[in-house]
This record gives sequence, structure tokens and C-alpha cells, in this order.
Amino acid sequence: MRIVLVGINHRTAPVELRERLALAQDERPAVLDELRRRYPSAEGVLLSTCNRTELYVARPVHEPPSADELRHFLAWCGRIDPPDLLSAISIHREQEQAVHHLFRVCCGLDSLVLGEPQILGQVKRAYEQAVNQGVVGPVLHRVFQQALAAAKQVRTRTGIGAGRVSVGSVAVDFARQVFEDFTDKTVLGIGAGEMAKAAMKHLLGVSPQRLWVVSRSLDRAAALAQSLGLTAPQGGARPWEDLDQAIVEADIIITGTGSREPVLSHERLKPLQKQRRNRPLFIIDIAVPRDVDPQVGSLNNVYLYNIDDLIAVADQGLQQRRQQAQQCETYLNSAVAECMRQIQHRDIGRLVRQLRQRLHELGRLEQQRTSRKLQSLAGGPSNPAMEALLEEHTHRLINKILHLPLSQLDRAPSAAALGFHAAALRKLFALEDTPFSATANGSPADESADQTQRCDDSPSDQAAADSSASRGQTSG
Amino acid sequence: MILTLLSLAAWGLAIHRLRHPQAVDRSTAVQRGMLAAIGLGAAGLFFYRWWAVHGRWQPLASHVDGLLLIAALFALTVLYVTSRPKLAGLAAFAVPVLSLVLAWGVCASAWTYKPFDLPTLHPVWNAVHLAGVYLGTCGAALAAMAGGMFLYIQARLKRKAGLESFGQLASLESLEGLIIRAATLGFALLTLGLVAGLVILSDRPLPVEERGWFVLKLSLAVLAWLMYALVMNVRHAASFRGRRAAWLAIAGLALLLTIYGLMVSLPRGGPAAGSEPTAQEAPLAKEPV
Repeated sequence: MRIVLVGINHRTAPVELRERLALAQDERPAVLDELRRRYPSAEGVLLSTCNRTELYVARPVHEPPSADELRHFLAWCGRIDPPDLLSAISIHREQEQAVHHLFRVCCGLDSLVLGEPQILGQVKRAYEQAVNQGVVGPVLHRVFQQALAAAKQVRTRTGIGAGRVSVGSVAVDFARQVFEDFTDKTVLGIGAGEMAKAAMKHLLGVSPQRLWVVSRSLDRAAALAQSLGLTAPQGGARPWEDLDQAIVEADIIITGTGSREPVLSHERLKPLQKQRRNRPLFIIDIAVPRDVDPQVGSLNNVYLYNIDDLIAVADQGLQQRRQQAQQCETYLNSAVAECMRQIQHRDIGRLVRQLRQRLHELGRLEQQRTSRKLQSLAGGPSNPAMEALLEEHTHRLINKILHLPLSQLDRAPSAAALGFHAAALRKLFALEDTPFSATANGSPADESADQTQRCDDSPSDQAAADSSASRGQTSG
Repeated sequence: MILTLLSLAAWGLAIHRLRHPQAVDRSTAVQRGMLAAIGLGAAGLFFYRWWAVHGRWQPLASHVDGLLLIAALFALTVLYVTSRPKLAGLAAFAVPVLSLVLAWGVCASAWTYKPFDLPTLHPVWNAVHLAGVYLGTCGAALAAMAGGMFLYIQARLKRKAGLESFGQLASLESLEGLIIRAATLGFALLTLGLVAGLVILSDRPLPVEERGWFVLKLSLAVLAWLMYALVMNVRHAASFRGRRAAWLAIAGLALLLTIYGLMVSLPRGGPAAGSEPTAQEAPLAKEPV
């Protein structure tokens, strides 16, 4: 089987194309059904997120779909013109490179935000969806299960997903260190700019009790509150004159105004903090120039962070992730090599079985022909002893013929050499790669488990097992 | 001695986990096992001394017994508290207090062992006094431990240090809640101990040469009592909220320990009024806990 990956991601395609190819959860089953209808012998998994749409396919070596056919298929999925999916903007990987890509994706090494953990869940869901649609066979089972397991192990070993790398999440983390529960907390947004909006959106994720927006322009504050979906009494816009009262009520303040002068000075906040009865106050100042006088941070129970503080921590997290990414790559290389070795052994096992079956079929035909000739020469009924001798002779001959090529396969110095030899044997003996549809009789999981056990054997062990099995079959 | 060493090992583990929060290993389970062993071990020693050594109905017959009681209760409380996800990382601050109590237990049993002069005191009031004071100290230790952690996290937040370990630690809000609850518990029990102590004093005229020490002891005890009264009401006494409350909780424990130290080390400084160990206690007095 040949593993092929075709798709687009944030590295290769612009967002306009990515959003056209991003398939909703409920659209994917139909796409997978269409894939199975078009290419019944292929296995497939469709991974579609906001940053990537990738189709992983395992197909018999000499059967469709080719990479071009898969590009056309993806174009059909996104209802776009195939030329839009030029090879320049799409990614195309085969075999080990495709597997390696999947492993990197699972670990978040190929993500826009290095090491982000969400992708692991997305890959898992894509795989499960494909399993439910019945388009996953033994090869992709093995590849995806190993990729998911390797990603979990990598995350545990290296902690690549630890630490925050975005300003918003760093701010939320700091806030979590001050407050245990946000459901009784009030957030105050000062300013109605884009940065403030982004930070407020992030804080809405922790479900505060109220979120007030205060801006010099009440209209802009109201528009921002509306865009954030804030309605009384859970929050809304308040006039600038209410700022002091809003500060007294607030537990978390996000400021992002365009003011040239500090909005919150030490002198202004000190009496307000007394009115607040010294409750902890967490302030995020994302404005440049700063909205909050740095002296405010020295007040008791006031925790002040400006944009540089947050960026510094986010950069620190990113730096750590980059260092850990190198460790991840080292581990992944060996995991991918192991996965490919298992897949290759599975393929070789099948090849050896096919080769034996083919030769034994030929042998049986020739044995029957020779037996008939001998009977006509002797002019009597068939002699069982002679039949047995003839059968043994055929077996020995076939085994001797197979011994050399099989031992060559066993001694192949590299995966490439093994693949080359296997392809040559297929070509010379006109053997077909077994399609997924011909093997998937049981449940995919059973098939996978069965294959796992078989693929752990070496080719020579496999050949020996096959030899005895086929001997038993013919002699029986 | 074994329990003290065990608590030091548990402390080492807790510090390791605080510094390497991402390291997923069995240290949590090991540390919990150690705390359970310390708690049960201290409780076992306490009951052994009560039943097999003293032979009285009163469990607290010497300062060692009080320390053992504090260690057992504190270890088991810490074991429970650290299992709460909201209070992660607390062990690193709790276990040193436990080590201190156990180490003191070693000193008080091996070198400065003095049984309380129980026969001369009113048995019920004395038992209430001792139980209130020692159990109250257990609450005070809990508050001090939470205060130490509060100060550590607050310092990190003010320094804007990296957040790599913050995911593992309790929030300031949780710690403040713990300080207040533990201080309230300590305050109630100390009040009981203080009242019982005053009843004992009113019942037993003091020699002139001891009065000075008792005035000092009483003053320090009242000061500690006032501190806890303040800490438990810190949400109303807003100017003491946050760092000041944490420092008060720590200072309160330090004051209580100072009172114990004074009473134990002075020649006739309290109920430990210089009576010699009984024949049954004498060999044990030389055995470190």
C-alpha cells in the first residue's frame, strides 16, 4: 500500500483558499462517502481545520487515486476550480514523508502556534469520523493510532504544549493566579479599540459575572459591547463619567485607549482602592502609550501588567517550545521510522503470501498435468505413493526457488532497498497490491489488531509461517 | 527522628515538584504516602504515650505529647488540603512547618523533656487549656503555611515572573480563604485555651518570682489572640488585607512558638513546672520521637 497526503495548510495557501476548503463537521461524512465510492480500494482520513485541509490516503501501489486525482477530489469538495489547487500551493507527500507530516501535525509542530494542543483532538476526531464512515483500513489505522500515541508521549516527555504563547492566554493565566473563580467577578474594559476588544474576548472565555465597557465615546463603547454580545445585567456600555464607579466595582481592568496621558494614575487609584476595600485588582494595560501609571503596580493588592510584560512571558513560552520542538523532532523521527517499518513488514508479509500462493497454484496445475501424463503412460489407476512423491517434489522445488528472493528481502540493507525489491517482485510475478476493500472484512479495529500482531514478525518468519500454511492447504 | 527525616524528604519532593511542575512522575503519590506515614506515625506515638506511658485519662502530659498531636493533625490536614486541586503546590510550604514541629519534638523528648505538673492543677481546666492551645496552634500553623505561600505567589506576580509553574499553584483568592478559615479555627481554640488558662490562674495563686513570667506569657498570648482576631476579619478590616494578613498569620504562629519556647525553657514557667519524669517515663524521655 502507498500512503499519499494531499492538501493545503497555513504555510502554503492563503486564508481565502483555506476557508473555502475548510469543511464543516457535518459535511465531512458525505466527502468520505464520496471518496469510498470513487476509490473503493483506498483508505482515507480527511483532516479539516481552520488552518489546514489535508487528505490522507492509503491505496494499493498501482491503483488510483494519484496525487492529481486527489487534488481534483479536494477541489470538488471545496467547490473550487482544480487549477486553484495548483501543486505550488498544495502539499503533496508520499510514504514516509506523509507519515512524518502527520506525526508533526499531531504534535503541533506544524501548527501556526507551535505546540498548540487543540490539533491533537482535531486529528483524533477526524480519524474517528473516518472510522465511523468505514474508510479506514489496516494501514491508516496503524499510522493514525501511532501518530496519536506518539503525540501524547511527546507532549508528556517534552511538555511542548506547556506555557502560554499568546498575549491573551498569558493575561488569563496571570488572572487565574489571582482569582480562583471568575463567575463572581466584574471585568472592566476601558477603550474600544481592536486590541482591547481582542483581550476582552479572551476574558469572556472565563465567564465573568459582568463585563462593562467604558470609552470616551459612548457610541463606540455601545458598539463594542454589542459586538461582544453584552446585554444588561451581564454588562454593557457605560459613560466615561462612570469610570471611577466602574473601577470600584471591577476586579479585572483591561485598558487600551489611544490617550497620550495615563488614564489611571497612582493618585486616582489609591482612594478608589480604599473604596474597593482593598479587594485584589488585576489590571492589563495593552495601550501604547501606557494608560496606567507604573506606580499603580506598587499599590497593595493591585497587580499591573502592561503589553511588554505579557509579550515577554509569551515569548518566553514560545522560546521554550522551540527548544522542545527539537527534542520532539528527534523522537518523532524514530517513531516514524518504526511505524514505516511495521507498515513495510505488513506489506512484505502480504507479498510473500501472494508469491507463495501464485507459485503453489502453478505448481499444483503442473503437478496435476504431470500426474495425468504419468497415469496415461502407466495405463493404470493413480498411484498414491507416486502422487505424494510428486507433491513433495513440487513443494521442494518451489521452496528452493523462493529461498533466494525471500532471503534477499530479509537482508535488504534499507527500507528503500526493501521497497525496491518488493516492487520488482510484484512486477516480475504480476502480483497486485491487496486493496483495502479486499481485506476489510471484519471490523477495522480487529483488522488492525490482527495486522499488528502479524507485522511484528520479520519477513522470514512470515514466509516460514506462510510456507507451512500453504503446504498444509495443498496437501490437505 | 525517623518522622522528621521523612518530613524533610517529603519537603524535598515538594520543592522539586514546585520547581519542575511539568515533570510527570510518581512524586505526588510518594509525597502523599510520606505525609500519611508521618501523620499516622505521629498519631501512633501520641496514643502509645497516652495509654502505655502516662496511664492517665489526660492525653497531654508533656510538651512532647502536644507536639505529637500537632504533627499528626497537621500532617493529615495537609494531606487532605493538598489533594484539593484549588490548593496545588501547598505541600512545599506546609511540610517545612511540619518538619519544624517534629524536630522540636525530637529536642523536647531527648534533651528538654519535662512532664507537666498535672497533680497540682485542676484536671478538667488544665486538659481544656492544653487541648485548646495545642489544637489552636495546629490551625495557626495551617494559616501560617497558607500565608507563606500567599507571599511567595504574590512576590512572583509582582515581579512578573514566568508563569511556567503557576498552573500548578493555588490562587491568591483560595489562599486568602484558607488563611481566614484556618485563623478562625485557631482563634476559637486559642480563645478556649486562654479562658481555661485564666481560670487555672485564678484558682492557683502564683509565687511572686513567677508572676513576671506569667504576665509575659499572658501578654504574648493575648497579642497572638488579637492577631488571629484581625486575620479572621481581614475582609472587613480592609487595610490588613492581602500581604499584611499573610504576615500576621506567620507572625502569630511565630509568637505562639515563642510562648512555647519560653514556657519550656524557663525553670518554672507554667504547667511544665519542673516535676521529674516518672519511673515509667524516664527511659522514654531519652528516646527521640
